[in-house]
Amino acid sequence: MPMNPIILLIEDDAQIRRFLRASLVTQGYELIEAGTGRDGLALAASRVPEIVLLDLGLPDMEGLDVIKQLRAWSSVPIIVLSARGQERDKVVNLDAGADDYLTKPFGIGELLARIRVALRKSLSAEENQQTPFYALGKIKVDFDRRIVVRGQDEVHLTPIEYKLLSVLLKNRGKVVTHRQLLKEVWGPSYVEQNAYLRIFILNLRRKLEDDPTRPQYLLTEPGIGYRLRDD
Amino acid sequence: MQPDPALEAATLSEEKQRPASRERLLVCLSPSPFSIPLIRATKRIADAQGSKWFALYVETPSHTRLSQKDQELVSQALYLAAKLGGHPVKVSGFRIGDEILAFARDNQVSKIFVGKPFERRWRRFLGVSLVDHLIWNCGPIDIFVISGEGEEAVLVGAKRLKPRPRLWEYLLAATGVALCTGLGFLLFPYLALTNLAMIYLLTVVIISSFLSPGPAIFSSLFSVSTFAFFFVPEYYSFVVANTEYAITLVVMLLVSLLVSGLTTRVRHQARVSRQQERQTAALYEMSQNLTAINSLEELLKVAAEQIDQIFDSRVTILMPDPEERLHILAGHPFSDDDVREGMVANWVFRHGHLAGAGTDTLTAVKGIYLPLMASQHVIGVLRLETTQPERIIEAGSLRLLEALATQLTLAIERENLSRQAQVARFQIEAEQMRNALLSSVSHDLRTPLTVIAGSASSLLEGEKNLDAGTKHELTQGIYEEAKRLDRLVHNLLEMSRLQSGEVKINMEWYVLEEVIGCALAQLDSQLQDHPVSISLPADLPLLQIDALLLERVMINLLENAMKYTPPGTPVEISGRLNDNELLMTITDQGPGLPVGQEERIFEKFYQVTPGSARGAGLGLTICRSIIEAHGGHIWAANRPEGGARFSFTIPLVEGAPIIDKAIPELEQDLADESDHPAH
Repeated sequence: MPMNPIILLIEDDAQIRRFLRASLVTQGYELIEAGTGRDGLALAASRVPEIVLLDLGLPDMEGLDVIKQLRAWSSVPIIVLSARGQERDKVVNLDAGADDYLTKPFGIGELLARIRVALRKSLSAEENQQTPFYALGKIKVDFDRRIVVRGQDEVHLTPIEYKLLSVLLKNRGKVVTHRQLLKEVWGPSYVEQNAYLRIFILNLRRKLEDDPTRPQYLLTEPGIGYRLRDD
Repeated sequence: MQPDPALEAATLSEEKQRPASRERLLVCLSPSPFSIPLIRATKRIADAQGSKWFALYVETPSHTRLSQKDQELVSQALYLAAKLGGHPVKVSGFRIGDEILAFARDNQVSKIFVGKPFERRWRRFLGVSLVDHLIWNCGPIDIFVISGEGEEAVLVGAKRLKPRPRLWEYLLAATGVALCTGLGFLLFPYLALTNLAMIYLLTVVIISSFLSPGPAIFSSLFSVSTFAFFFVPEYYSFVVANTEYAITLVVMLLVSLLVSGLTTRVRHQARVSRQQERQTAALYEMSQNLTAINSLEELLKVAAEQIDQIFDSRVTILMPDPEERLHILAGHPFSDDDVREGMVANWVFRHGHLAGAGTDTLTAVKGIYLPLMASQHVIGVLRLETTQPERIIEAGSLRLLEALATQLTLAIERENLSRQAQVARFQIEAEQMRNALLSSVSHDLRTPLTVIAGSASSLLEGEKNLDAGTKHELTQGIYEEAKRLDRLVHNLLEMSRLQSGEVKINMEWYVLEEVIGCALAQLDSQLQDHPVSISLPADLPLLQIDALLLERVMINLLENAMKYTPPGTPVEISGRLNDNELLMTITDQGPGLPVGQEERIFEKFYQVTPGSARGAGLGLTICRSIIEAHGGHIWAANRPEGGARFSFTIPLVEGAPIIDKAIPELEQDLADESDHPAH
């Protein structure tokens, strides 16, 4: 039987630590806690956690520095916990290597979903890319034949739309920033062309969603990027 | 009312301390380096007495004939006077003495200071020196003559340019007289001698109205002598046969000299008034243009453009940052990156003194640099680059340039003051806001907190007694109230950030559907009771907006509709394209707005039913701030068929990336790539 996954929580507020401890331990995770960035980095090195939950308002270090230092030697998934209204900080953190974020206050359900996505990624990073076939609700994608089907009908996607969808699929359940999407789909010289990205997302939604203004699959993360829903 | 004796005594004693505080001093300047010590001497006396003082320069026709260096001396002297707290004044006139006295009387000057070398440089009137003229005519005003010992050596450097009537002017004058003589021979048989003299006089008038004073005088002398030689008996000789003829000749000579002198003056006057008219017009236009402006950038831009036009030049305005480093804030960048330009600009900024091309200081650069002198210090530097800087310095344009600079300085100062006033007003408003916020928040925060604390304590205490349904209900209550608290806090923070200007509007091209989608996604749980329908124009272009802020507008408006309408009633979101804006409406079928309150609901902390704890009354205020920051309007009205309608507009910005067009372009890029599949 595999050991319980270890989650490292770097958070200075004792109440939040208590609430997360109560919820995560009952869900079968092993939680290790750090109140400062320095302790957190030390624990990350000594205990090698499967996931790091990082609060941005640490007393001793900028969250961004924690991410950068951690990323220097580890690819452990990092989920950032931050307050609302700091969208630009979030984007910076995500582009610096954080995997996902949660806005405080958050429900435990949201947190568990994020943790599941991050764990799946860390456990089966390779296997995930080999999946030749993928289904999400009504939508089915056949990677080998490059065919997308919605319900019974084949959806014709332009090459860019297809590429956009496959990047989102590769990261399904996880937020992908505008910059990351533009870089992966169009290339590094297009990272500022947010408007094009929005146009293509709109077209993709028109082809895949029942109601493009209330998308079920292709979700917007305001000010940050997009997330493909993951069942 | 009885005068307060104590107050009166105090006023009296103050007057005794500075007995001459009402005195006004006047120092007369000349184009000489001695003006500088003269100004300093006057300043010392004025300071000792606490009096106001003027520095006066009288510009006579001969001013234009002064060398560039001497003209610069005058400007320097006037600058120095301004810098030392005096009032620099320039007037135009012919008789220096009269102008000085007239100015002194007009301004209640009690003491006039003149320099000794001054007298040597200025004209004498009919053998009487200027100082004598002043003393004789000054009435009650005291005249002080200050010695210029030790300044003589400096004076040698300044010399007056000789007026240079050119040779052709004399030739022209001679030709004119010769033609007149020819005419005289033709008319000689028919005209009396006196009438012939008239023809000569007419010639002199014509000549002197076109030529410089030298040729004019030459023409009068030449015409009188030709007239005497050819037409006055004895003919062909200067011998005059008759006393009567002699008188004719003398009168003719005097009249022609007088006429040529007067004509010269009239021309000078006309030139001066033309120049003054041009200056007045330019200054008027400048002041008109500058008063209407409310931002410093715009002000500097308009001023630079205007001075550009007046002088047909390239103008740059430099102002210091808080670390006193000069930056170009308006106008043209320097035409080449000569480091000396920047050095001269800095020198002018530090010394408050004109310098640069065409002046006598730091001339190795292309620009003329003028300090922008505010009451206390130099606030910036005006740079002017023309192909002929000498012409501006020499042709009296410097004065206009100085006046424009002064006007610009005043406008900048006014702008600075109004900005300070605005900051003060903002601070007061922020203070009021903070107070109102405190009282509102203490109520609105406490309500959900009461629910949370109460429910949680019930759960703790009644762990065993409560049935599962009640527990669930209490927990649900805690969760919902916490969410409400979060929204409230978020709105409060947003409001104060919007108010403080901390939120930078981050405009980008956005798809409106996405913004609406985000707002709906955030309100998902609340929207379950209200069917929402959306109708947007199919050809809606991308909008230049801050999506996060606009999303906040949509959320607040929708939340508002949820709060005030009964469950089950539909909400309709629709968009319509007008000429150059998008009109969005959010319509509900609730009870509508209280009549007459359609505007007030946008005010801070306004609540339809006070104390109802439904919110802090900030949601709509935030909407208004955001929409106005986007250049749109927001308003509310009741629909005739019932329910409320909130409308707002967003201006359409030209140059939106076009949805259909963008695709083939970019697909092309990918087409090259798709030959090498990414997977």
